[in-house]
Amino acid sequence: MKTQSRDTHEECWRLLPWLANGRLAAGERAMTEEHVRTCRECAAELERERLMRAALTEPERVTHAPGPSFRKLMARIDAAPTAVDEDLPAPPRRPLRAGLAATWRPPGLAWAATFVFALGIGMLTPTFYRWSQPAYSTYTSTPRAHADVLHIAFERSLTVGEVEELLRHNGARIVEGPDNTGVFGVSLTPGSARAPGPPPGMSELAARLRADARVRWIEPLPEGARGRTPPRP
Amino acid sequence: MAHEVQLIARIAQGDRRAFEELYNLYHRRMARFLMRLTRRHEVAEEVINDTFWVVWRKAGDFRGDSQPSTWILGIAYRKARSAFRASARLAERDLDGAAEALTTEGFSNTEELRDWLGQALEQLPVEQRMAVELCYQLGYSCEEIGVIMDCPANTVKTRLFHARAKLQKLLPRLAHPTARPAAARENQHS
Repeated sequence: MKTQSRDTHEECWRLLPWLANGRLAAGERAMTEEHVRTCRECAAELERERLMRAALTEPERVTHAPGPSFRKLMARIDAAPTAVDEDLPAPPRRPLRAGLAATWRPPGLAWAATFVFALGIGMLTPTFYRWSQPAYSTYTSTPRAHADVLHIAFERSLTVGEVEELLRHNGARIVEGPDNTGVFGVSLTPGSARAPGPPPGMSELAARLRADARVRWIEPLPEGARGRTPPRP
Repeated sequence: MAHEVQLIARIAQGDRRAFEELYNLYHRRMARFLMRLTRRHEVAEEVINDTFWVVWRKAGDFRGDSQPSTWILGIAYRKARSAFRASARLAERDLDGAAEALTTEGFSNTEELRDWLGQALEQLPVEQRMAVELCYQLGYSCEEIGVIMDCPANTVKTRLFHARAKLQKLLPRLAHPTARPAAARENQHS
């Protein structure tokens, strides 16, 4: 019984603010008013609630003029008539495919023209790609005038006389070039009398020239190197 | 209430005069409780206009399931809460520290009590402060406050229960309405 009374007290205590503002439902109001009549604690609390309500509902000293604020709001509404407020639900989104279809629909025979146009673009794409690439050639793929020719680049500081002397010393001679990158084609000098014994082969000539510090680069085996791009001197 | 429902229906058709009438109806009461909540006139005005911006755009969605006032104040509550959260000033404060400052003096009349209440309310979390304003100042029922704050009625009772306990702690004069402030008693004796 005591527990039930305690529960009623606690419930009435929680309802007192609405007894003070007159917004309790009839059943709750009857129960709370009856309890307040017998409970000093709740009666005192009800007095405090009424005091607080009186303080908060007392007429204001400040008068609020809504006119300027309303004009500001209307200016905002007029300035952004299509703006989407964050509280508004987002409009349902159309599927991407449906959106594209609605965006562009070629009429009638335009479908056929569109197909031919797309086919033409597809066929010409490799050509366009080829045209877009920089033109270049490799030495190994260039047709040769002589099968037994080595490509060679010398130190840029060498004079023509020093190059001739270097080649003569090794039993070689210039048969091509120089091209625009300074690369020469050299070959064995026929009947070279540089050294006693049989004349050197192309591999031996390449090895001798590579060993000379004044040679920057030499393509060692012209025939074997075909199809491969040599490093630029 | 029926008149307000009609106004909202006209606003949905783009009637600006109806919009202005509804705005003027609500501006005064909203300004009052928002001013007490925010303590800043410009913030209160901004919340009111943000609220009516939504009313203008969503009037067509109002079906009369709730009262116009609970619908509008529900929007205002969400807007105000966003404004509060944007301001670090309104973060929850240490009640024990604040209590000492508020208990050193009493109040002699209702107007003074209102000023003290305003300061004490600032010490409450925004949800409790809103519940106090909606109940005591605007006179809403527990169920209506639940609709406005989008929470069960029991949550409203609990928020108000805690708010009342904190206010009594902050305002002992409120806890003992018949007692007189210590400073006044000393002055009388001297």
